[in-house]
Amino acid sequence: MKNFKFSILVVLVGLFTYSTGFAQDENEVKNFRMLYKLSTLKQADGSRILEVSFIARHKKDRKNKVPVFDAEINFYNETEEDNILLGTVKTDKKGFARLTIPSSQELIYDTEGYINFIAEFEKTDALKRQKKSIAVKELFLDLNLEEIDSVKTVQLKAYTLDSINNQLPITELDAVFSVKGMLSNMPIEEATIEDGEYEFEFPTDISGDAEGIVDVRVFIEDHDDFANVIQEKTVNWGTINEVKSIEENTLWSDAAPIWMYIVLTILLVGIWANFIYTIINLNKIKKEGAELELNTEES
Amino acid sequence: MNLENRKRELVKEFSPLLLKSSNLSKLWMGFLVLVILVGIYAFFVQLFNGHIVTGMRDNVVWGVYIINFIFFVCLSYSGAFIGGVLHFFKTPWKNSVSRIVEITTVLSLIIGPIFILLCIGRLDRLHYLFMYPRIQSPITWDIIAIMTDLIGCFIYLYLTFVPDFAILRDNSEGMPKWRQKLYKFLAIKYQDTPSQREKLHKITRTMSAMIIALAIVAYSVLAWIFSLTLQPGWNSSIFAPYFIIAGLYSGAAVIIIAMYLIRKYFKLEHYIRKIHFIGAGVVLLILSLLYGYFTFSEYFSRWFSHKIHDAELLDTLFSRYFWKFILANYIGILVPIAILFFKKLRNIKTITIAAVIAVLGLWLNRYLIVVPTLETPYLPIQDTREEFIHYSATWVEWSLSFAGIAAFILFFMLLMKLVPIIPMSGIIDNERDGKKLKRKK
Repeated sequence: MKNFKFSILVVLVGLFTYSTGFAQDENEVKNFRMLYKLSTLKQADGSRILEVSFIARHKKDRKNKVPVFDAEINFYNETEEDNILLGTVKTDKKGFARLTIPSSQELIYDTEGYINFIAEFEKTDALKRQKKSIAVKELFLDLNLEEIDSVKTVQLKAYTLDSINNQLPITELDAVFSVKGMLSNMPIEEATIEDGEYEFEFPTDISGDAEGIVDVRVFIEDHDDFANVIQEKTVNWGTINEVKSIEENTLWSDAAPIWMYIVLTILLVGIWANFIYTIINLNKIKKEGAELELNTEES
Repeated sequence: MNLENRKRELVKEFSPLLLKSSNLSKLWMGFLVLVILVGIYAFFVQLFNGHIVTGMRDNVVWGVYIINFIFFVCLSYSGAFIGGVLHFFKTPWKNSVSRIVEITTVLSLIIGPIFILLCIGRLDRLHYLFMYPRIQSPITWDIIAIMTDLIGCFIYLYLTFVPDFAILRDNSEGMPKWRQKLYKFLAIKYQDTPSQREKLHKITRTMSAMIIALAIVAYSVLAWIFSLTLQPGWNSSIFAPYFIIAGLYSGAAVIIIAMYLIRKYFKLEHYIRKIHFIGAGVVLLILSLLYGYFTFSEYFSRWFSHKIHDAELLDTLFSRYFWKFILANYIGILVPIAILFFKKLRNIKTITIAAVIAVLGLWLNRYLIVVPTLETPYLPIQDTREEFIHYSATWVEWSLSFAGIAAFILFFMLLMKLVPIIPMSGIIDNERDGKKLKRKK
């Protein structure tokens, strides 16, 4: 609790620092509205992330947002009988608290097949209690990358399971297929899944890494029933880009830049041509002298 | 007077310089040989024991040798530059100093590179420089520049010697036979006919222009060996012109000293006159002002930038090397300026003193460019021993340094025994031109 008080102090100092235009009383916590959100993402390996975003926003100056740092968030799996504590995580400097639930974790479903999650922040001296819940159904995405008749084909099967593990295909599901990049993902297909299946031809001009490997992923975003779901697979369907070697003047380079050879050659040819010209003329002088000597001897 | 008689008369006048040696001169030459022998002994000590006998270690990998190398090579380039300018622009008083300049050029270019060889730890791998040259390396540029410049300077020196060799060949009665044969061979049947004279003048003039250009290129390459590194104290865009000015400054000073010594000990007051010293003194004054300006710019920009490594270097210069810094960059520049600036102070002795101060100051300046920089490296060497960080030259290095200076003086004296230090052909040309002018009037 001591830590948390300290955090509140940090928040207040932050508020003071970031909103210098306000009078001191303006920086009090009461002038801030707490934005408390819960979201969930099912990852490719079946694990699930529960994420809380805890931000304080000034009531008048809505641009003035301060993350609530070090706030303790309890994550629960809500059941009809009791709430099962899944874990407790503190918010980071950006006001986020993330809990990863491994795929092996058994979760309790309600009668309609939803998993109910609760993220709760308990009341403190300075801040009010915050609580958010979210209900999601378990969505299964089978991503299959296969060459069919020499055509690189991406196939997706989306379904849920009923109580006896029968697959129930999903209809009207918007999905975005993309290729993972270094900084962001590049969309390659936006699709609406009908009858639980979708397939398309993988583009032939997507560059991969040094071995042509690409990460293909499908993303279901903000769905009412399934929230966020990701599935991905790796395949060597990317084109291999030749690494262009840039000619640099380095200690370890095999050869010098061409301009260096040209300049040096011009200089040396110019100088040596002059040396040769001088020697030729000296030879002429010698020849002339020899002829003169011969003439003198003859006469 | 008949031209042939005049030539004979000049040979007669200069032959004591060529053929006779005074006891003092013999003693001096003996001393120089002794210094060279000590240097040769030191060389073998270094060869058999390695660089451990020198003050050079992991941090300071260059010491007195490289300073001597820069000094001599810059001296040569400045000699080439000055010689080229004197000839190309047909400077009126060039005849009295041109041969001193030309001999200085060639000899210092022979002596200088020997010092760089002494810096090499594995001389047995020297041929790798030629077998596996890297065009992108300033060291390779320098090798090419020095070799080309050496050949160019040799050719140029020879061109200026040819008419004198011819005069000596034609008037060598009474001289030893080997001399007669040597002059005959070197004179390449030059008879001083108008056609031969014209050809020789043409190629000498072209070569003099070439030598100026070559000296500028070679100077710059030498400066780039330092300035193309990231070392604080070396990484400077003005290093190439700075080296050119510094080289010219040392060159002009050494020529003045040589003029003074030759004038005094060979009694050539008739040819090397006060007016020549005054002219050279004014040149030295201009160069000292330029050199002072460049030195100030160099250190001022380092000081003003407040970069950590530059600040460290300046701290070293103003603490450990305080007196050397004062001697090099204050005394070595301001005293020559003070002496040469006032007309009343300019006489043969003061100009020579200014030149001596300039040479010593410049050598110290080179020392300050090389050693303190290496003692404050850009990338610190870890776990190095305290005694490796600071450099002080050993007796081996000093012996070889003095041997280099002794060899320079000895070869200078020997060359003066081969051809007169005042070009006889130049005297005749001047007289011929004088007569032409009189006729025109």
